[in-house]
Amino acid sequence: MIGLAQVSKTFTGKRDVVALHPLDLTIPKGEMVAIIGASGSGKSTLLNLIGGLDHPTAGVISVDGRELGSLSDDDLTRVRRDKIGFVFQFFNLLPSLSCLENVSLPLHLRGWPRQKIHDRATDLLRLVGLEKRMDHLPDELSGGERQRVAIARALSVYPPILLADEPTGNLDSAAGAGILTLIKDLHERLGTTVLMVTHDMNVARACERILQLKDGVLLSDARVESPAAS
Amino acid sequence: MKLLVLLSWPYVRKHKLRMLLTLAGIMLGVAVYVGMHTANLTIQSAFQRTVDRIAGKAQLQVSAGETGFPEDVLERVQSLREVSAAAPVIEAALATPQGTLLVLGVDMTGDSSLREYDLEGGGEDVIDDPLIFLAQPDSMIVSRQFAERSGLGRGSKLTLKTMGGQKTFIVRGVMKATGLATVFGGNLAIMDIYAAQAVFGRGRLFDRIDVGLSEGVSVRKGTAKLQSLLGPGFQVEPPQSRGAHFESMARGLTISINMASLFALLIGVFIIYNSFSIAITQRRGEIGVLRALGASRGQVRRLFLLESIVLGVAGSLLGVAAGLALARGVVPGLAATLQDVFGHAVSASEITISPPLAAFSVFIGVLASLVGGYIPAHAAARVDPVKALQKGRNQVLSEGENRLRRRAAVACIATSAALIGFGNGNAYFYPGYLLGITSLILLSPSMAMWLASVMRPVLKAVWPVEGALAADSLIQAPRRTSATVTALMLSLALAVGFAGVSRGIYASLIDWMSHTLNPDLYVSPSRSITAKTFRFPASMAGELRSMEGVEEVQPVRNARVMIGGEPVMAVSLDIGAISRRVRVKPVEGDRDEMVRLASQGKGVIISDNLSLLRNLHRGGILEIPTPRGVLKLPVLGSSVDYSDQQGSFLIDSKLFQRYWGDDTANLFRIHVKKGQSREAVREAILKRWAGSHEIFVYTNEGIREYILRLTDQWFGLTYIQLAVALVVAILGIVNTLTVSISDRRRELGVLQAVGGLRNQIRRTIWLEAVSIGVVGLVMGAAAGVVMIFFNLHMLHRDLGGLRVDFVFPYAFVALMTPVVVLCSFAAALWPAESAVRASLVESLEYE
Amino acid sequence: MSKWIAFLLASCALAQDPRQIVEEVQRRNRSQSQRYEGTLTVTSAKSRVTQKRWRYERTGSFGDSKAVLRFLEPPEVKGVALLVHNHKERASDQWMWTPELQRDRRIALQDRSTRFFGTGFSFEDLEERDAGQFDYTLLGQEKLDGQMCWKLEARPRQTKRSQYTHSYLWVRQDLYVYVMVEGYKNQELLRRIAYRDYENVKGLWTARFLEVFDTKRQSRTTMKLEKLEYGLPMKDEDFTLQALRRPL
Repeated sequence: MIGLAQVSKTFTGKRDVVALHPLDLTIPKGEMVAIIGASGSGKSTLLNLIGGLDHPTAGVISVDGRELGSLSDDDLTRVRRDKIGFVFQFFNLLPSLSCLENVSLPLHLRGWPRQKIHDRATDLLRLVGLEKRMDHLPDELSGGERQRVAIARALSVYPPILLADEPTGNLDSAAGAGILTLIKDLHERLGTTVLMVTHDMNVARACERILQLKDGVLLSDARVESPAAS
Repeated sequence: MKLLVLLSWPYVRKHKLRMLLTLAGIMLGVAVYVGMHTANLTIQSAFQRTVDRIAGKAQLQVSAGETGFPEDVLERVQSLREVSAAAPVIEAALATPQGTLLVLGVDMTGDSSLREYDLEGGGEDVIDDPLIFLAQPDSMIVSRQFAERSGLGRGSKLTLKTMGGQKTFIVRGVMKATGLATVFGGNLAIMDIYAAQAVFGRGRLFDRIDVGLSEGVSVRKGTAKLQSLLGPGFQVEPPQSRGAHFESMARGLTISINMASLFALLIGVFIIYNSFSIAITQRRGEIGVLRALGASRGQVRRLFLLESIVLGVAGSLLGVAAGLALARGVVPGLAATLQDVFGHAVSASEITISPPLAAFSVFIGVLASLVGGYIPAHAAARVDPVKALQKGRNQVLSEGENRLRRRAAVACIATSAALIGFGNGNAYFYPGYLLGITSLILLSPSMAMWLASVMRPVLKAVWPVEGALAADSLIQAPRRTSATVTALMLSLALAVGFAGVSRGIYASLIDWMSHTLNPDLYVSPSRSITAKTFRFPASMAGELRSMEGVEEVQPVRNARVMIGGEPVMAVSLDIGAISRRVRVKPVEGDRDEMVRLASQGKGVIISDNLSLLRNLHRGGILEIPTPRGVLKLPVLGSSVDYSDQQGSFLIDSKLFQRYWGDDTANLFRIHVKKGQSREAVREAILKRWAGSHEIFVYTNEGIREYILRLTDQWFGLTYIQLAVALVVAILGIVNTLTVSISDRRRELGVLQAVGGLRNQIRRTIWLEAVSIGVVGLVMGAAAGVVMIFFNLHMLHRDLGGLRVDFVFPYAFVALMTPVVVLCSFAAALWPAESAVRASLVESLEYE
Repeated sequence: MSKWIAFLLASCALAQDPRQIVEEVQRRNRSQSQRYEGTLTVTSAKSRVTQKRWRYERTGSFGDSKAVLRFLEPPEVKGVALLVHNHKERASDQWMWTPELQRDRRIALQDRSTRFFGTGFSFEDLEERDAGQFDYTLLGQEKLDGQMCWKLEARPRQTKRSQYTHSYLWVRQDLYVYVMVEGYKNQELLRRIAYRDYENVKGLWTARFLEVFDTKRQSRTTMKLEKLEYGLPMKDEDFTLQALRRPL
């Protein structure tokens, strides 16, 4: 599903910073993987590279059989919108749009017909348990609710891959747990491949596999025998 | 000051483009002000310089408006004990391939006592032996510069177009390039005055007498003596006064320049306001830190005010430089227009730089910058350090603030309406005007928001994501948008206002022309019918009448006379004959009675604008000073007449000839016999006088075109200012967009992360820009209606008392719509590109 | 003997009233009419020579005469005429006629200090001025060109009427004619006019050759009088503007 071969990333500037040393990684379809590490360990960089938000300095990344490096910017966007859903720590909802509109956003961008968009967005909001909040603006929701909207948005086309960058990082523990349950539930029901950056070991333990990064180097790659059912 | 270097400079460096745009806003505003005023000043001072240098040692000049006066006045002037020297002068401008040549007709036997003719070749020159010069009417002395430009030397032949057709002159002297010879860009020629009378069709009249006073006689005493000798029909004035008359003629221009400059600056104020509001929103964190570290509100406010002063000084200085460059570009066109409209030739090769004007411009530039920066600085000072340090919160224009604005606007409107409705005079009108504009400015944020929310569903229906986001971007960030929209509104209001007025003027002019200018042909001695250089002898009317196909010839003599110290156009014609052809449209008075009495010389018909300007009405008395004494004539009525911006009156030619001793004509109106071809008669006339008189025969259509072209030229000057105003407003859009993009980097990043293609991102930004444009356009058109209303009032009041009907310039607005949309779109191109090229990762983490 | 005579003359001369001398000059020069053709040669400081010829006709008594001066040469100025009406009590009136333009023009009082058409003369120098317009002082006697002369100073009574503040006149004691006139403005010599080749024509002693030196321009103008005649019958109507306008 996701393959990385000798992928590295160096930020150039006044002083070059190696964010990620050459790294090989394969994530098969349907796996739920946590990436952990301290701040600055390169875990977000890794996620951004896989999501096609950033380009690697060297190496090859392939997602669902397509090599990202060879794609044009717009093709990369197409891969992203068809295969990948993003969930961010700060939700990144558009404040001026209602929940329904925020969820509809990627569908509109794909040029779906209106009715279909409306149906799907409603479904999705129902899926994340926000059917009563559809017409609310993000500002009117709690943090957990906002993240649910963000997840609904990420799932808009039921992408095979869900990338989540600290999805619980900005939430209190109860809300965080709720979100984790939701993601795990979706993973199980939809068979989505989930890649989640976190520094919370409790969250990581809910996954099937844990990658630990330190200073841009993959420190360990461990399977969790029986993932916690949060 | 330290804070400024410490905090502001890095910010400026980081936002170079925006700072440049802001700078450009002030710069352009100041540039328009400096440029147009410098151009105007250049022309006025060039005119004055010409007058002064030509006047030489003359302390006083005797003239009678533009009519000229009989020769015998000279002897009367010379007979005065107070007069040491009096020299008659005729001034005329001739078109040559080397530019307009100013020809001075003087009496060589006595003129050197007033003017110094510094001739090359010292004592062997013609002035010392004027015998040949005087004996041969083809004699001419030219300036060194003109001689060089035309490749002339002593004894060369110079062919010029004159009343007597192509005429060859012989250069009998070349003046050194000093003093008098530098007049008019060096394009100066001297002729014998009596030869000049013949060449320029002046009859036995002089234009002017230059007077030197005897020793010990003060200018005041000399003026009084001459005035009492000659009577009120003559102007006895120091040479400097002529510049003042010229200035008063061009007053309309000065007013429109002032207005456009004011608007340009006002638009600049909004750009600054916009920039600073944005900067303060962006720098809230920094301000919060400053406040947390112990900076007082005053210090914060001062920091930002200081920034605006620095920006204002820099922008104004650049503006002065740009303005001078602008002036250089505008002067030739302005000079040509003034020459065409007023018939006074002006030549200005170098622009006149006025340090006080420059200083004042910098002052108003800085003031504008301060005004623009004041509210943001105040807002900065009010920033709550605690809130400012929290992330992700934006300051939104509060509903309370908006309500306050709306209330103020209503108060302004009410006061303005009261002032204009009930008040009388400029003391009420102009404050009313100002308040009216202020209320528009106050209302504009609410209007803009309202319009944007009206547009949102429309945009969303067409482009569900991009449209909605674009509209939301406007609605969500009123601080960012409203100033730009206001600036755009103001510039468009200005444009629409001007366009409306010009449309109105054109409409009224065309209406007037169609019922007044109805002869088939016009015969003019110059290409320009306003030029005063040549006149036809009275005898030519008879010759024209005798031509085949000509049914009627109506000679017209028009010239400005001084009434109450201001020039008024006297139009002398056979009123009886004209009235059989032209149906005078009276504004006041009975048509038939008016015409009957006027044709008997028992009164004058004044133009509507003269009536307004001088508050003269039917039954009143117009006191017209003439060379034969004051002519007191009853005002029989008024009619719409656009002959002159400062008013005109119709007087019967018999009366005019009697009182001015002038039977020449500026123009012949010719009616062609029925069934005869105008073109054939035109050809015949041209052929008849070919070689003897240089004449220009215009057809009816030709003359209308000519007048419209003149009007175009006049308005052309204001278009430059409108264009600049629009550019400033467009800069505002660019400014707003660059800020909007940096504000929305994260939003745009999200859009891309969730699958927005580059084009979709671009489209949002384009739509936002175009929306700003459209909102500005709609508001500008609405404000334009108000502007037209005010402008017409102003026109009516202060600019020639013209009564012009309200016409909304639909065509202009229709033309402006694509222009504004395209310009806003163009303004969005670069910001949109920079948005799609921004790093996604950074955008998403941007806070 | 001759010394005696000289002494007597001298004492007699000294006793002379200066005004009487000038009046005697005018009396002896009095003729009802005069005509001559003059040839003017102007030699400028740069030795450029120009020549003009004119015919001069005068009628009436000195100081109250009328004169017409009509140019004959060079061809460019042929026909240009000057009409002078001299007045006893005031400065003369002068008009000029230019045939090409068919126009006459008055030459105003203010302009008379200007040169007479490029010559060393000013318009003023061509006027006949009655003795009554000046105050005279006898300064003494000098020998000039071998002739004993009285040297007089003349000062105009009304300064506005003359460009000169004063002039010196040298009058030949034998013939009562001018030999030299110097016009001054304050201390500066403006013009020196020398009268030579005196000849008795019909009882009037007339200088046939005049030389003017313009100190400012350093130019020299000579005038030769030819075809000199006196006492011709002349009509007053020939000395009017109307007559001036008649073709040559």
